[in-house]
Amino acid sequence: MPIVTVRHFTEEDVPLRTELLREARFAANLTDFAVGSDDDGLQARQLRTITEEHRTKRIFTVCGAHGRVLGFAWITSIDWRAQCCELSFGVLPRDRGLGAFAVYAVHKHLRDELNMRVIVNQVYTHNTMFLSAEALEAQHQVRCERDSHTVGQWRTACYWTLSDEDIRQHEASAEERRRELAERIRERIEARS
Amino acid sequence: MTDLRPLSPAEAAQGLRRAGDAARGFLGTDPVTQNDALLARELTRREAQVYAAGGALVGCVPNRAQPRQAYVSSTSAGPEPVRALLGHLTTYQRRTSFVALVPEEGAAAFLGAGFAHSGVLPGHHYAGHAFHDLLVLVKEEPCRS
Repeated sequence: MPIVTVRHFTEEDVPLRTELLREARFAANLTDFAVGSDDDGLQARQLRTITEEHRTKRIFTVCGAHGRVLGFAWITSIDWRAQCCELSFGVLPRDRGLGAFAVYAVHKHLRDELNMRVIVNQVYTHNTMFLSAEALEAQHQVRCERDSHTVGQWRTACYWTLSDEDIRQHEASAEERRRELAERIRERIEARS
Repeated sequence: MTDLRPLSPAEAAQGLRRAGDAARGFLGTDPVTQNDALLARELTRREAQVYAAGGALVGCVPNRAQPRQAYVSSTSAGPEPVRALLGHLTTYQRRTSFVALVPEEGAAAFLGAGFAHSGVLPGHHYAGHAFHDLLVLVKEEPCRS
């Protein structure tokens, strides 16, 4: 598993995230407001999040090996007392195969350090970057028709939550898969020798 | 005696970020859950005074209900920066009572500087998916006037 770390979003990260906000698939899959916004406005908005909006919104920078930036995650609709938030993601185009590792690292950070207990995920049905259409169909708990309008089209959104119990089950099944793989490798090595 | 250099809230936030895990819980802040802007804001709101002491950071927050008392923190594992802070606070601010809230593994620096166990705050700090106890350590200096 690649080393993925999560740190606070800083002033130096703003230009890279601004570029990502305007990227075509980001605009279609999340929100397209940045396409019609100027650089200064987008920069001011993100700096305000860093300096003032700690109670209502937080942005994190997700990094790979040697601190290279893979993308960004941000939480909104934060209910600190109920320990619940909504999580959004934007992985840079060059690193999009690593999305699943980034998602896991951010979920872990939100649970382990911010003590979030319920994390709400939202994905538009046309977006198969994190989950296949089948996986999304199996995973979602709420389906909202005409949820948002991005890049000229109405989008249907799927929502689901992940609780501590869901994460425990996910970790247990991942551990089981690792164990099975290790067992198969061991059998092959023994068969050759 | 270790020299103390006063830091602005922004400098203190950067120093706490560099100190890593040793800075978690410093005067009630946490660089893991708070970005630099929020650290600086929290230190300002608490009227914190933070000093560079050699390679470590030490600091205090005055107890508004008891002006001779201060909550103190240190990022050092050894007692010398804590002794320097207490010397500064007794000499220049006439503080006589000091309280440190630290996890078990952070107690040595304060016990080495003459602090004594006073109590435990059970499950007071959340980190690494668990609630941790904090020790309440206290040191009283005789009143000089």
